[in-house]
Amino acid sequence: MNNFEPKIVGFLCNWCSYSGADLAGVSRMKMAPNVRSIRVMCSGRVDPTFVLKAFTSGADGVLIGGCHPGDCHYAEGNYKALRRSVFLKRMLKEQGIDPQRLRIEWISASEGDKYARVVDELTQTIRQLGPLNLQAQEAVNV
Amino acid sequence: MNPKIGVYICHCGTNIAATVDVEEVVDFISKQPNVTVARNYLFMCSQPGQDMIQRDIEKWKLDRVVVAACSPQMHELTFRRACEEGGLNRYLFQMANIREHCSWIHDDRAQATEKARAIVNAAVRRVAWQEPLEVSHVKINPHTMVVGGGIAGIHAALEIAESGNHVYLVEKESTIGGHMAQFDKTFPTLDCAACILTPKMVSVGHRKNIHLLTLSEVEKVKGFVGNFTVTVRTKARYVNDKCTVCGACVKACPVEVPSWFDEMQGKRTAIYKAFPQAVPNIFVIDKEEIPPCIEACPIRQEAAGYVALIRDKKFKEAAQLIRLRNPLPEVCGRVCYHPCETECNRGYVDQPLAIQHLKRFALDWARKNKVEIKPPKIEKREEKVAIIGSGPAGLACAHDLAVKGYQVSVFERHSTLGGMLALGIPAYRLPRNLLNEEIEYLEKLGIAFRTNVSLGKTTNLEQLKRQGYKAVFLAIGAYSGVSLGVKGEDSNGVYYGVGFLRRVNLGIRTPLGKKVAVIGGGNTALDAARTALRLGAERVAILYRRTRAEMPASPLEIEDAEAEGVAIHYLIAPTKITRTSPVSLQMTCVNMELGEPDASGRRRPIPVPGSEHNLEFDNIIVAISQRPEMEVLSDQNGKPLFAITPWGTLQVDQDSLVTNLEGVFAGGDVVLGPSTVIASMGLGRRAAESIDKFLNRQPLVNFKTHMPKPIVPRGETFRPHRYSPMYKDLPRQKRIEMRKLDPDKRAKDFSEVELGFSVEEALQEASRCLNCGVCVECLECVKVCDPGAIEHDMSDSVQEIQVGQMLLATGFDLFDAQVMSQYGHGKLDNVLSSLEFERMLSATGGTGGKILCQNGKPPRAIAIIHCVGSRDENHHKYCSRVCCMYSLKYAHLVKDRTQAEVYQFYIDMRAYGKGFEEFYKRVLHEGSNIIRGKVAEVVESGWSNKEEGHLIVRCEDTLIGKFREIPVDMVILCNALEPRQDAARMRQLFSISLSPDGFFLERHPKLDPTATMTDGVFIAGCCQGPKDIPDTVAQAASAAARILAFIQKAEVELDPIVAQVQEELCSGCRMCNSVCPYLAISFDEEKKVSVINQALCKGCGTCVATCPANAIIGKGFTNQQIFSEIEGVLV
Repeated sequence: MNNFEPKIVGFLCNWCSYSGADLAGVSRMKMAPNVRSIRVMCSGRVDPTFVLKAFTSGADGVLIGGCHPGDCHYAEGNYKALRRSVFLKRMLKEQGIDPQRLRIEWISASEGDKYARVVDELTQTIRQLGPLNLQAQEAVNV
Repeated sequence: MNPKIGVYICHCGTNIAATVDVEEVVDFISKQPNVTVARNYLFMCSQPGQDMIQRDIEKWKLDRVVVAACSPQMHELTFRRACEEGGLNRYLFQMANIREHCSWIHDDRAQATEKARAIVNAAVRRVAWQEPLEVSHVKINPHTMVVGGGIAGIHAALEIAESGNHVYLVEKESTIGGHMAQFDKTFPTLDCAACILTPKMVSVGHRKNIHLLTLSEVEKVKGFVGNFTVTVRTKARYVNDKCTVCGACVKACPVEVPSWFDEMQGKRTAIYKAFPQAVPNIFVIDKEEIPPCIEACPIRQEAAGYVALIRDKKFKEAAQLIRLRNPLPEVCGRVCYHPCETECNRGYVDQPLAIQHLKRFALDWARKNKVEIKPPKIEKREEKVAIIGSGPAGLACAHDLAVKGYQVSVFERHSTLGGMLALGIPAYRLPRNLLNEEIEYLEKLGIAFRTNVSLGKTTNLEQLKRQGYKAVFLAIGAYSGVSLGVKGEDSNGVYYGVGFLRRVNLGIRTPLGKKVAVIGGGNTALDAARTALRLGAERVAILYRRTRAEMPASPLEIEDAEAEGVAIHYLIAPTKITRTSPVSLQMTCVNMELGEPDASGRRRPIPVPGSEHNLEFDNIIVAISQRPEMEVLSDQNGKPLFAITPWGTLQVDQDSLVTNLEGVFAGGDVVLGPSTVIASMGLGRRAAESIDKFLNRQPLVNFKTHMPKPIVPRGETFRPHRYSPMYKDLPRQKRIEMRKLDPDKRAKDFSEVELGFSVEEALQEASRCLNCGVCVECLECVKVCDPGAIEHDMSDSVQEIQVGQMLLATGFDLFDAQVMSQYGHGKLDNVLSSLEFERMLSATGGTGGKILCQNGKPPRAIAIIHCVGSRDENHHKYCSRVCCMYSLKYAHLVKDRTQAEVYQFYIDMRAYGKGFEEFYKRVLHEGSNIIRGKVAEVVESGWSNKEEGHLIVRCEDTLIGKFREIPVDMVILCNALEPRQDAARMRQLFSISLSPDGFFLERHPKLDPTATMTDGVFIAGCCQGPKDIPDTVAQAASAAARILAFIQKAEVELDPIVAQVQEELCSGCRMCNSVCPYLAISFDEEKKVSVINQALCKGCGTCVATCPANAIIGKGFTNQQIFSEIEGVLV
C-alpha cells in the first residue's frame, strides 16, 4: 500500500478525450503519471474485452474517455460505450473486481483541466483500492 | 512473423529530453524483440530526422517504424509521408506520444522515463501487427454549391468562378446581398456598404459560370465528398426576365405589407423589389399562399383581387377583373352560394367578408356607369361543338369554347334560355333583365342558341354527329322531382317544386289556393314557398322532417322567408295525401324525432308513434330533391346510352368529364345531382378544356382549369400572412348587412328583394379584407406591364444538382430584444434594434437617411446600449464581436447628422482590428459620452405632465461609482448576432455539427476554421460565429481556396481506416446493422451476411466492438493491434 503505484490504462477517443489530454499537455498541467493512454478513434470502439485484457495484463484500473453525449464525432459511439461500461461494471463485480476500477468519463477537446483532474482522482481511488494482481491463466487468443 | 522495427526517440529540443531520459529509453527498447534499430535525435520531424528514417528503411530493410515524440495529432501525417517516401507503406508506422502525454505533464524524471518506456513499448508491440493499407481515391465533381448569398457567399462564389469552374449560388430571398445590403456605412473606414457590395453583386449576376438560384432552398443532400446530389426547390417569382424594372406594377398594386428589408419599419407592395440594387434585377410577387376565397371557388374567381380594387375605389377595374374569369358574373353576384365566403379567413376574426355583395356592387356600378364590355378577339376555328342545355354548366362551357374559336351551338329544350337560372331561381333573387344581358353578351361571342330542341325527341346524338358536331357536352340538369313515396302523391293540386317553379317562370298558368304546404328544406322548397306567397297564397307553411340546424337551405334565405310570413314547421313529415274536396287536400302527418346519423351524416328522422294528425291545404308542393331525367338519355328502345351512378346521375371521368361515349362529355347537375350554379360552371369550364384537348387530339390529362382543393381549417392563432397579427389579435369590425325591401312590400311582386350596397357600404366592407397570402391576384400589375413579364400561374420548380463540394454561408439572425423587456423594444417608441437603426441611416430607408424620432423631430440625445443579448448569462454567453465598433460608428454618424448628445453604455470596448483603435479615439474626441456600465432599464418619462415624453436610461456608471438616470429621445440596442433559426435543420441536411453556442462547428478553431468535420462541406462567415465583414471575406476566400485546391486535384483520398466484415465469420445476426450512424452496413439477403459500404464508413469502430462473433475487422485498429498495445503499455 505504501509504495504502490497503480498502473492505469486509458482508452481515449481521438476527437475529444485524446485531444483533451493533448491540451492538458500543451498547457503543461501536472498530473499523476499512472495513466497510460491508448488511442482509439471512438469510445464506441472500446470492446469490453479490451478492459478485461487490460486487467488481466497487469492494469489496476481502466479509464475510458469519450465525447460528451450529443457531441460524439461519430454521432452515437459514446452512447454505446456508456451502455457497455454499465454492463461491464456489473460483470466485474460478479468476478470480484471492484467496479470502481473502471471509470468512464466525458472529456471534450477543450477540457484539459478535466483530464488532469480525472487522472489524479482515478489514481488516488485505485491507490486506495490497492493492486489488482489479476494475471490470466492463459494468454488471451484472438 | 518477424518484423524489422525501427524505433526513433525524439528529444524535441528540451521538451522531451529535459524530463525523459531518452537514452535510457533507447537502451531499453533496443533490447525488445523485433527491434532492429533504435536511435534518438533532437528533432525527428526535421529534414535530417526524416532522412534518418528513410536511410534506415533502406539500409536495414525495415518494415515497421515507430517514432516516439509529440502527439499523433501533430505529426502522424508528417511521419507517415516520410515513411512512404522511404518506400514503406504509410500505415506500417505508429507514433508514441511521450511529449503531451508524458514529458509535459510530469516533473519526476524517473517516473516520466518509466512511463515513456511503457508508451514506446506499446507502440512497438502494436506496430508489429499493423498491415499495409491502400488509400483509395474518389473523383471530385468540379462544380460547387454555395448556400447563402450574403457577402460571404458572394465573395466565395466569385473567387471560385474566377477559375472557370461552375458555382451554384443558392439564396432563399428574392435577391442576394444578405444583411450587408441593409447597412449604411461600415466601420472603421465608413465605406458605404452598398458601394462596396453592389459591384460584387453585379459581377455575380453577370458571370456565366455562376448559376444564381434565388427564392431557392436546399431540400435534400445525398452522397459524399466529391459526389453530392442536392435537391433544390425554387419558389415561383411570378415575374420573368422580360421585366424592365419600370415600377409601373408597384404603383398599381393595392396591397401593402411591412418590408422585411427595412426590418418591418417601412412598407412595400405585394409586387416588389427588396431594395433598389437587388440582383437579379427583377420584381417578385409575394404569394405566401393562394387566398382561400380564390382556392375555394370552382372557377377560381379572384375574389380577393376585386375586393382590394373596390377598397381602392377602382370599381371599373373590379368589374373588369370579375368578367375576365367569370362568364356569368351578374348571376353569381346574385345567387352564388359563395364558397369563397365560407372559407374566408375573416370568419376567424368576426364574420366572413360579404364577397358576393361586393361582386354585385361592382357590376351594378359598372352597369350604371355604362362601362363598356368588349368581347375579346377570337381566332375562329372550324370545329363544331354541340352543347345540350343552356343552364350555368352549358353557358360556361359555351363561353370558354367560343373564346377559343370553336363554332358552338347551344340546344335548349325550353323556349327560354338559362336553365335553372331562368326556370328555377325566382326573379326576386335574379332579375330576368340581368340574365338576358348575360346571354346577349354570349351571343356576341358567336354562340348560336336554338330553343325548343329536345334531346331524345327533336334531336339525338346520331343526328348531331351527322350534322358535323365533333363533340357534345351534355348539361341537361336535374329536373325530375323526387317523389315522397306516399299514397295520394299523384293527386291533383300536388306540384313538384322544380316543376312548380318552371311553370311560374315560363308564364304557364299555375292555379294556387290560399293555403299552401311545401314539403322539404332546401333552396327549392324556400323558393317555392316564397313564390307561392307572391302568387297570392295567404298562408304558406314549410314542413321539414329534421330541425332548422339540418336544413340545407341558406340561413339568410330562411330568415327572408320567415320575414315574409312563411311558417316553418320542423320535425314533421307527411304519410298520406287524400283529396277531401274539389279544392282541398288532406295531408296526414307524423311528428319526427332525430335518431342516429344516416349516410349523409345528419341524424335520421324517426316517426314518433301515435303522433298522426291531419292538416288541410289547398295545394301541396313537394320539394325534397331533384334527379336528372335519365329517360332523356336512352336510345329509341329505352336502353340507357350511358353509365349511371347509384345516385341516378351520369357517370363521367372525374378529371376529363368524358362519358363512356367518345366525344361526349357531361357536367352540371346531370353529373353532380342537384348542386349549385358555381359548381356547375366549374364543370362547364373543365369540360371546355377537355373538349379542346380532345379536338386537338391531345390526351385528356394534365388539366389546368381549377378544381378546388380541400382547405385545411385554420384557427384563431393563425395569421392571414406572416406580417399580420394573429386572427385573435385583430380589431373586430362587423360585416355590413345587405339592405332589403321591407318585408310587407316584398311579397307583393317579384321585384328584387336585396337592394345592393351603397358606395360607402362597399368601401367599408371591402376594408375588412385581410389580404390573405399578401398578393390578392387583382391582376392590375399584368395590365400595366408593357413587356408582359408577369406570370401569375408560375409554379415552384424542384431540381437535382450534382456538385463536388458545398460551402455554407448562411449568415446570422438578430437577437429579438423584445425578450429583454427592461429595454422596452416593441413597447416604447424610439427604442430601435441595430438593424432598424441601420435602415434609418440608409439613404434607401424610410427616412432617406435622416435620424428622426417617431414624432418626426430629430432627437436631442441618443443612448446606445452595448451587449443586448450578448455576454449575458441569461441569453448568449458569447461576445458578438461587431457591436462595439458599430456603436462607435453610430456615435460618429449621429454627431455628423444631428446635434444630439450621444451616450454609449459599454462593458468592455473591443476595438481589436486594423484601424479600430484609431477610430475609437476619433469618436472619443468628437465628444460622445462613453459610460462604462450596464443599463438596468429604459423607461418612459413625462406622461404625468402631458408633455411629450422622452426615455430615461437607468444605469450604473462604474468608473465614477454612481447610479445615473439619463434622459434621451432615442435608444439604440446592440442586439446579439445569433445563429439562424433554421441552423439545426441545416446542420442535419449537411451532416455537420453545431458548437455549443449554436453556430456551425469548424474542424479546428485555429488551423481549420472554414472546414467542417464532414469532408466536402465548408463554412464561412457569421454562420460559423459572429464576425465583421473583413473577417467574413477572409473566411470566404479561405474556403474558396480549399475548394479550388480539391477541384484542381480532381480527386480526394478516402482514409482506409474503415471496417470490413469477414464473410466467413459472419453469423448473420445483423446486430451491427443498426449501430452504424452512417447507415453504412446493409445485409446481403443472398449470402446472409452483413456488408459494409467502405465509401460511407467513417471508421469509428462501433460495429467492430458490437460484433459478438468478432467477424468485423477495424482496419488500423484491429483487436490484435490493441491487445498488443495493452500488453506493451503495462510493461
